[in-house]
Amino acid sequence: MKQKEFFTSRWGLILSALGIAVGTGNIWRFSRIVAQNGGGSFLIPWVIFLLIWSIPLIIAEFAIGKSTRFGPIGAIAKTAGNKFAWMGAFIAVVTTAIMFYYSVVTGWCIRYFVSAISGNLFNTTDHLEYWNVFSQSLFPLLYHFIAMLIGAFIIYRGVVNGIEKTNKFLVTSLLIILLILLFRAVTLPNAFEGIKYFFTPKLEYILDYKVWLSALTQNAWDTGAGWGLILTYAVYMKKNEDISLNAALIGFGNNSVSLIAGITIFSTVFALSSVDAMTQISQSGPANTGLTFIYLPLLFSKISSSLLVNTFFAGIFFLALSFAAMSSLISMMELSTRTFIDFGLNRKKAIAVVGLMGFIFGIPSALNMDFFTNQDWVWGVGLILSGAFISFSIIRYGVDKFRTEIINAEGSDIKIGKWYNFVIAFLIPFQVVVLLTWWLVSSASWDPEWWNPFHVENAGTCLFQWGLVLALFITINKTLVRKTVI
Amino acid sequence: MKLEGIITLFVVAGIVWGGLFYFLYNAVKFERNKKSDE
Repeated sequence: MKQKEFFTSRWGLILSALGIAVGTGNIWRFSRIVAQNGGGSFLIPWVIFLLIWSIPLIIAEFAIGKSTRFGPIGAIAKTAGNKFAWMGAFIAVVTTAIMFYYSVVTGWCIRYFVSAISGNLFNTTDHLEYWNVFSQSLFPLLYHFIAMLIGAFIIYRGVVNGIEKTNKFLVTSLLIILLILLFRAVTLPNAFEGIKYFFTPKLEYILDYKVWLSALTQNAWDTGAGWGLILTYAVYMKKNEDISLNAALIGFGNNSVSLIAGITIFSTVFALSSVDAMTQISQSGPANTGLTFIYLPLLFSKISSSLLVNTFFAGIFFLALSFAAMSSLISMMELSTRTFIDFGLNRKKAIAVVGLMGFIFGIPSALNMDFFTNQDWVWGVGLILSGAFISFSIIRYGVDKFRTEIINAEGSDIKIGKWYNFVIAFLIPFQVVVLLTWWLVSSASWDPEWWNPFHVENAGTCLFQWGLVLALFITINKTLVRKTVI
Repeated sequence: MKLEGIITLFVVAGIVWGGLFYFLYNAVKFERNKKSDE
């Protein structure tokens, strides 16, 4: 199908791709992981993996999407060969499965924004109870529906009027809000203690391999590299659009946002916490929600003696979180929509299918936290496999040929050197093997029945669910190829 | 703040924010050149 709609400008494309990368993970997961891994000790490997995981994979996704003009299935088939279309289908399923529960997360953020501006959030001092009452009610289902509806409406308006315009607004507003919050946080008394902890490395942590693996995992999950999302947006890049410079901007831009969010949260927690600040930042809570939905509302109530001021800061914080979540959600919905378009559906029908499917399959995650945690675990780790498949496709195509003929093709502002061949052919596969082994083997330490596919978080449930998906797509590989690329 | 904290701050923030502004500057420059060529 000939592509007719394109991002109108470089800035529209960059802000949209930044919208993919900047999500709730930059705000709530990053701070928690930094706290658990020795502050500055974590930041050093985190920067290294930005350079040897995130940016090379973002470059790869841009190049594959732009050159093939297909969603994940067609793109991988065209790059690696038709017999590997199932890899593209796996990438599409992983991100679509994440979309099902990410819509629930987006709904939580919207709900807390509404609670904050209505003053409801500060009517209680027991925020754990407030969260429990909310998460066990039917409200998560209602807000999941609202999130899917907004997302479907945005992508229904198309690439230019929907995705590009919305991201220009969402991402710009998000950055402004984060800068306002940063300014407020660092001017709080005692905030410097937080900044000091955030940047001071501890030798024993730097030498710990787990800190390095956590840094790699954070980059793999947080930048959107290897998800197939940037590949999907790249379908709508103009022919003479640059790849490498845009990819670098997105990688550095995403990690810049994480740094801003980290400084803001550490400053706020150290300035306002009457109990042990580190325990509070490190706490995970169900689905990593502890810091954001339980502890931060309590801190916002202490920013000043004025309820209006506290409401303002809590309101804009949850608004920023909602914007970050929504800009990522629409990219996941667009990936699924693009996949159905490649199968021959028109855009309206594809959006209707994705919206309905997203709502229905998101219901279990909205109503049951165990189900949510299981899906977050299975498909979160599955993303590492998606990254591996993208890297494999380029190796099959020929890394040097890919670099010279596609990445450094007409329109490229900067040329990528031969170092890229080494990163894609050796470093990425090596990181994939180490990460997958570590996560799956670690799960045996917290679940003695690591093989049981019906447990929430273990190797068995991952292998079982991935196995089902892979077996299905390998079996119908020829049909996938016939329906998409031929 | 201890010396190692200050060094980490400059290295990490320098690479991340420095990288962002470096590539942003270049992107603006290339866009201007493309527009003037047109």
